[in-house]
Amino acid sequence: MDLKPYANYLRAASAMIAGLGIGLLATVLSLNAGYGFNSLRAGPWTAWPQIGGADIDPYARAVISRSGEAPLGRDQGLAFIARTDSNGAPLDAACEYRIVDPLPAARFWTIALASPDGRLLANPAERYGYSSVDVLRKDGGAFEIDVARDARPGNWLSPGAARDFVVMLRLYDTPLDVESRPDPQSFPKIVKLRCA
Amino acid sequence: MTIPDRALDLLPWLIATLLVAAIVHIVSVLLMPALAPRDARARLAAYARTAAPEEGLVVLPPMAPGAETLPFEDPAFAEAVCVYDLAKGPLRIKTTVDGDDFLGLSFHANAGRIYHSMTDRSAIKGKIDIVLGDARQIDAITSADEGDAPPPSEVRLTAPTKRGFILIRSFAKRPSEQERARSRLSAISCERFDLPQG
Repeated sequence: MDLKPYANYLRAASAMIAGLGIGLLATVLSLNAGYGFNSLRAGPWTAWPQIGGADIDPYARAVISRSGEAPLGRDQGLAFIARTDSNGAPLDAACEYRIVDPLPAARFWTIALASPDGRLLANPAERYGYSSVDVLRKDGGAFEIDVARDARPGNWLSPGAARDFVVMLRLYDTPLDVESRPDPQSFPKIVKLRCA
Repeated sequence: MTIPDRALDLLPWLIATLLVAAIVHIVSVLLMPALAPRDARARLAAYARTAAPEEGLVVLPPMAPGAETLPFEDPAFAEAVCVYDLAKGPLRIKTTVDGDDFLGLSFHANAGRIYHSMTDRSAIKGKIDIVLGDARQIDAITSADEGDAPPPSEVRLTAPTKRGFILIRSFAKRPSEQERARSRLSAISCERFDLPQG
């Protein structure tokens, strides 16, 4: 069969199909990359202040409506997520970590573990996080939170049987300036202790 | 036909492919909020329907692994939601705060946009009193005000879309205070009222 007279139609059709594929792929990749633009980074912690306001960008809106989450309002606080430790290595539930002072100014804060898609992690202690009110402090006010599968004395969070986890740091009623780059030294460190 | 000729021949089609890709990408990102079947409002409305068939404030169940109503919520909080449709009338949200315990209200429009958020710190004289309506309803309420009456005691808020939800978060200082945080939520009212006649 001679396809020559139809060559342009064939090319147009393949341009359409390839364009559809590339466009959808770009959408999936960009939505998996975070909550759009203007992230706030401090050490391992990342926040997206604009997702809590009316000027949220279309990428962040797409991500939020797909995951079904309801972010914190900007006038309420700021949620930071850490997917790595302070050295940049991805968090691994087979390893033990220690989260240590300091924390940025806020009315209060909470530190909690979650799965990468935002669910709570079942663990034997039924403890999912600590707040600035109920964390055990040493003399002078400093604290440490140990993240390990097995029980630890003091402040202990367990990822349970999960393989991956993230650490959420939420600052409520914080005066933190979201327009300028925060000082990583004022944020807690996530130190890897050992790996199983 | 040489090879550069053939490449030049395909160039317009390559550009066409990229243009189609760009349009598909932009349209799919913009349509996502409208098409996503399990966004936060859908999840909350599904729970509210099973918990209480009538409208109003619904306290969400305690967070536990596998029983989260929404992802990425703070486990130190008790939460309540008021899923609304302003086509049925404006809403009034009222509660008192005791000044010490964190209470956060965020107002979510359809499609993932927060148009207003506040905490108990912005309560006036220990009270939160918010009237929520669309532009037409707020106009009607404002024009019903008496000329020389004192300024209204409530905060009037215009919602950008008729459908949305209000998420209320109440902080439990320690896990044993969850019950207290939940009882603070049940004391909040979120009720529809009739527009003033006139």
